[in-house]
Amino acid sequence: MLVMRRRAGESFLIGADIEIEILEVGPTRVKLGIVAPAQLTISRKEVILTRAENLTASKSTDPAVIAWLSRKLGPAPVMDTVNCLTPADKNEKYLKNSGHKY
Amino acid sequence: MPKIKTLYFNELEYTQDSVFHFAAGIPGFEEHTAFLFIERADTSPLVFMQSLHDPAICFIVLPASSIDPDYRLELMPEEAVAVGLPYAETPSIGPEILPLALVTLTEGAEPVANLMSPIVLNLQAHKGIQAIQLGSPYALRHPLAPECQAAPCS
Repeated sequence: MLVMRRRAGESFLIGADIEIEILEVGPTRVKLGIVAPAQLTISRKEVILTRAENLTASKSTDPAVIAWLSRKLGPAPVMDTVNCLTPADKNEKYLKNSGHKY
Repeated sequence: MPKIKTLYFNELEYTQDSVFHFAAGIPGFEEHTAFLFIERADTSPLVFMQSLHDPAICFIVLPASSIDPDYRLELMPEEAVAVGLPYAETPSIGPEILPLALVTLTEGAEPVANLMSPIVLNLQAHKGIQAIQLGSPYALRHPLAPECQAAPCS
């Protein structure tokens, strides 16, 4: 990994087209300005990680595994605290407005 | 009452005021802007986050506080607004704000929950967002049942 020291107001280039300027250095954060060609997608890494994990989570659909996990965790009064609406099928509840403490 | 087809519960009736609105969807599912949160006695404490846009999309979620009782939530000012709170209000997990962790079940791997990017619901305004916790100590893949790693063991 290339490491370099920069101060606020200084910048550096990646290739010929991408310029990154250090705009502001705070106690816990730095503010960066990025100049890059429009066709380049710039994403925060945690959004990329979250997107990938969301896609994996959406495939977690095996009913046997779901049943196993709920047994594993055991019933908990998780949503008792939330006022639920009971629809036609009384086995299902929907999260609804809550006036209770969670 | 309107009905939807769901992934796990066939056709289900619901009321409009039970729908949670995600103005920007969630990363990877930006077009999914409305979800129902369904709880069943026989699969408690799991909650099913069913997309109204596609019956095949139904996430499994758990309240973050049930995984970590000391779970702390931080929202950026724009996230607070997106979930219907006043700008820059520090949210407190309580009657209004409920953070939920998305559960990932992969065959042969231990179940994990995403505490780094919780689904945050405003139970009053019925708005939701996925709020990535920047620089937080919470893991993208927090183990749920470390003592049992294999997939279904009964």
